[in-house]
Amino acid sequence: MEQVKAAFGSFFGAIGGFFKNFGNAVAKGDIFVKLSLLWMGAGYCRRKQFIKAILITIFEVAVIAFTFGFAMDYVTKFSTLGTVQQESVFNIVTMKNEFNDYDHSFLILLMSLVSFVVWIIFAVVYLNNIIHAYELQKLAESGKHINTFREDMREFLNRKFHITLLTLPVIGIIIFTVIPFFVLFLVAFTNYDQQHMPPSALFTWVGFRNFRDLFSSGGLTVTFGYAFVRVLAWTLIWAVFATFTTYIGGILLSLLINHKNTKLPRFWRTLFIITIAVPQFVSLLLVRNFFANNGIANTFCANIGLTGWLRDIGAISTSYIPFLSAPGWAHVMIVIINIWVGVPYQMLIATGVLMNIPTEQMESAKIDGATPRQIFVHITMPYVLFITGPSLVTDFVKNINNFNVIFLLTNGVFTTTNQLMANSQAKEVDLLVTWLYTLTQDYYNYKMASAIGIIVFLICAVFTLVSFNRLIQGDREEAYR
Amino acid sequence: MNMKKLTALLLAATMTFSLAACGNPEVAGDGSAPAESAPAAKAPAETAPAETAPAQAEAPAEKQDVSLRLWGAEEDQAMLQGMIDAFKEHYADYANFTIELGVESESTAKDTVLTDIEAAADVYSFASDQLIDLVNAGALQSIDEMDGALQAYAGKSVADIKAANVEGAVEASTYNNTFYAFPLSADNGYFLYYDSSVLSADDVKSWDTMLAKAGEAGKKVGMTLASGWYNASFFYGAGFTTGLNEDGTTAIDWNGKADVSGVEVVQGMLDIASNSAFLAVADGDISNQIASGQLCAAVSGTWDSIAAQDAFGDGYAATKLPTFTAGGKQIQQAAVVGYKMVAVNAYSQNAGWAALLAEWITNEENQAKRFAEREVGPSNKTVAASSEVGANAAIAALAEQSAYGVVQTVGGNYWDPTGTFGEMIAQGSLARDDAEAIQTALDTMVEGVSAPVQ
Amino acid sequence: MKKKYIDMILRHVLLAFLAFIWLIPIVWLFVTSFSTYPGRNTSTFFPEHWTLNNYKNLLFAADSVAQFPNWFKNTFIVACCSCIISSAFVLMVAYATSCMRFKMRKPLMNIGVILNLFPGFLSMIAVYFILRTLNLTNNHWGLVLVYSASSGLGYLIAKGFFDTIPASLREAAYLDGASEATIFYKVVVPMSQPIIVYTVISSFLAPWMDFVFAKMILNAGISSKWTVSIGLFNMLDKSLINTYFTQFCAGGVLVSIPISALFVIMQKFYVEGVTGGSVKG
Repeated sequence: MEQVKAAFGSFFGAIGGFFKNFGNAVAKGDIFVKLSLLWMGAGYCRRKQFIKAILITIFEVAVIAFTFGFAMDYVTKFSTLGTVQQESVFNIVTMKNEFNDYDHSFLILLMSLVSFVVWIIFAVVYLNNIIHAYELQKLAESGKHINTFREDMREFLNRKFHITLLTLPVIGIIIFTVIPFFVLFLVAFTNYDQQHMPPSALFTWVGFRNFRDLFSSGGLTVTFGYAFVRVLAWTLIWAVFATFTTYIGGILLSLLINHKNTKLPRFWRTLFIITIAVPQFVSLLLVRNFFANNGIANTFCANIGLTGWLRDIGAISTSYIPFLSAPGWAHVMIVIINIWVGVPYQMLIATGVLMNIPTEQMESAKIDGATPRQIFVHITMPYVLFITGPSLVTDFVKNINNFNVIFLLTNGVFTTTNQLMANSQAKEVDLLVTWLYTLTQDYYNYKMASAIGIIVFLICAVFTLVSFNRLIQGDREEAYR
Repeated sequence: MNMKKLTALLLAATMTFSLAACGNPEVAGDGSAPAESAPAAKAPAETAPAETAPAQAEAPAEKQDVSLRLWGAEEDQAMLQGMIDAFKEHYADYANFTIELGVESESTAKDTVLTDIEAAADVYSFASDQLIDLVNAGALQSIDEMDGALQAYAGKSVADIKAANVEGAVEASTYNNTFYAFPLSADNGYFLYYDSSVLSADDVKSWDTMLAKAGEAGKKVGMTLASGWYNASFFYGAGFTTGLNEDGTTAIDWNGKADVSGVEVVQGMLDIASNSAFLAVADGDISNQIASGQLCAAVSGTWDSIAAQDAFGDGYAATKLPTFTAGGKQIQQAAVVGYKMVAVNAYSQNAGWAALLAEWITNEENQAKRFAEREVGPSNKTVAASSEVGANAAIAALAEQSAYGVVQTVGGNYWDPTGTFGEMIAQGSLARDDAEAIQTALDTMVEGVSAPVQ
Repeated sequence: MKKKYIDMILRHVLLAFLAFIWLIPIVWLFVTSFSTYPGRNTSTFFPEHWTLNNYKNLLFAADSVAQFPNWFKNTFIVACCSCIISSAFVLMVAYATSCMRFKMRKPLMNIGVILNLFPGFLSMIAVYFILRTLNLTNNHWGLVLVYSASSGLGYLIAKGFFDTIPASLREAAYLDGASEATIFYKVVVPMSQPIIVYTVISSFLAPWMDFVFAKMILNAGISSKWTVSIGLFNMLDKSLINTYFTQFCAGGVLVSIPISALFVIMQKFYVEGVTGGSVKG
């Protein structure tokens, strides 16, 4: 946890230093630096950096226009998420509906967030601008060279190249990950559900009510707490099994293929790779039909008498083997099918690792008379584990969110027989993410889905932070130079 | 809101109300603006006497540009394109139409529409069980409000349209006394297909004889149990009901007592499900099962008529559902009668023309065309009465079943608990003799169904 | 030597057995795509009658359900665009975080790692409305953005790879007066072939596999604008599966062929890229 603390410490330290610089600049700057507080281009004008002055003025004007032309429409309603209900009347002359100026709660939420982000960016640029103006002033006072616009631009390909590189990716991340993340976060504190769906209805803030419903088994949602615990348990069990089975299977398979006694390793590898090249929605839907209650697998099992035998010993009560339609059976089948899907991929990775194994160590061990088994146990395995250990963590997180496998294999096939689960629209085989998907897609229960989404995120984040500080820390990078 | 907009709105409001008032007697009473207060607004309807279709409304000097989007089922695309072309031609005097046709299955329309109502098509078709959710989300334009437009351009009032379609369809399109959609077809229900070379017409009168005969022949009878749409047929048959409460929750009484007790109905279902000649089919898998050839009878709807004809060959026959034994009585199994309907998006940019397009693709002529091309059972009375429709075995069976039909009115929380309940019966996880456990299971299901809407 | 012989046989028998199990569904996909019976075949593994019609219909007789050539074209364009953008973003972020030193570097990296834990589709509805505000729904550019805009978060593997490039190389270039940009283009990128191949393949594949986002964004019901995955997925709709199941299989085969080819050809680089990155990161 030390590293985590250090990471956050450095982050807040950087912010603190930033504000100190700003205060310093305002206090010690000349009139133009102070004027820059109002007109952002002032400092640049004074130093004859006219192009920069124009650009920053355009930016300032644009943000002001955005604020009053767009943001204020939404942000002012942020505290209530809108009060004007949609109404319309039909006008027979134009043959159109005429709407009142209604509020759309979701757009208010979303656009307010967008506005906040724009303002935060503006604030950073603004503060930076003052600091920069003060730096220019100091340069001018000490008679040093002040960059021309061309020189400034060149800096962006050199000392400030990281800004050039990072701007677009960061904008993309902000728009398509950060803002949606905060939307999800905020929706969990509203009553956005089927009864309160924009544009025809409004939703509003409800505080922690959704989380209370999720964790308690009383109140409005009688069984949500019940279902939540079970779905969470299966999610974790699934993630553990899915991660370890494919991981170990992948290593074993690659050892098998890459052994010196195996002929044509490339050919074997290719055979297994084909299975990952078929898109999952094709291969998994096929497998699902394969194991359907009336699918080929069942026809086959019935023909060889397996079904009858299972019936006789009381393992099944149906005339077919419920491979994917009864809890227990389905849980095992899903893990097995996931091995089928995941092992080739892990095999590829393990192959790469095995190819890079330091041969000197092996050679010297061989000279010392070590058996192949000893070499495997004491050299190969520890090396592979050491190298791929971190990827286990990422895989675990990916499996917690493994929507495809569960959804494609069980959606529309698996009907739960647990009534309490059914009462909260969950199934025994649901992961938190698939449950969340059902809640939003079929029941429009966005508030609960968001609450679950936050929990999923917290689980993943805590897990990663605890077990993966190696990655967070990022200090080892220098060691490989 | 600024004053100008407000005035315009108020004006428009009074106009619509007055129009609605003179066209539709039902609305006249509750219109807040009396019809006399806005004489000018009556003009369009009055200057165009509604005598001869379609030219009641004067062709405008300058034609409007109207763009519409229509969603229809995948199988209907070519036919719908033909209807669109005819629509454009028919109303060519009034507006320049750009109509885009898209694909949206009638069974999933609700899901797509509710994700973003404002982006959904202006006109779309859906199955009647989705109506309530769509209305609650404010996705549907009230057709009553369109009365004026329909009279002016199509020469029909809403009352005419209601009168032209079978009562059940009109009832299914109406919610809270408002008419929300144009009935399109009346065949979205289920009945019994059977192979008359295996089962006689007498055999299929009750589940008991049917299963016995099927067992003798080494064949099976298939029905979907894991769906509240199918398994409700046993409960409805025994006099149980479902409905909607004021607050949007579902009212359901299946754990109580009607003609027989709920437990007895479940026991009757368990008797059927545990028979080795019965095959519990997964929801949506029935066509495939019929095609597999192991069935000699199946509970399904008109959409499987071709599969059934192929599988049963000369023995192909269809009839109403059989009776089942519960509490020592023979009870006629009821069926959910479903309809398909075409509605107008409440957020349509051209709601008036959208309503006319919806009316167009559901009118008598096009319902007849639909039957001729796709054997879709019409909701229009005249078409339904035609000899061609009468000769269709599946539709005849449906008509026979409709005497024991129920329009299913349920909320969103109905489906999962009842589906699960059906699956429990299908898998035999309830013991027939354990009445107490069955009662508990019924209570739990009822609790889930009637839970508050989230 | 005899022992080695037995070992070899056992190995190959085991491998053949595993490969057999792994390939059963793929073979089933392949043979079913040649079946004359259009629905799901549940009784036999191999079709009773063989035909090429499924492919012929799919490729040359597009109807409103099956518009495979259009879908393939759309997906290919989306995949190419998003692959270019994603690869560029990943490499840019990786270079900045691996080879450069600046004040906010570590905080940004940490935030990136945490954000990357957040599965995109949890917030699908928000992404949808953002795209709608930008007027990019029902638009292939919208889809490209969804697949590529956040790709910068996946920088870790590429960064791990860049970390292994000796710093002395860059320092030498720097002494020769090269700018950071020049070093990026002329020194680092040419040395990073495996990781570029890895990034390109992974980002190229996403549009072929995704049906959740695509279905949400291309929601106007115009089937000619769909991608392969929504189109094929739609064929499994309850009302269509019994007439289109074999065409679905044929479509699956057609999509898999180019992807398999890509994998097989690029196998070596792919392996080096993914391990080079994850190993040393």
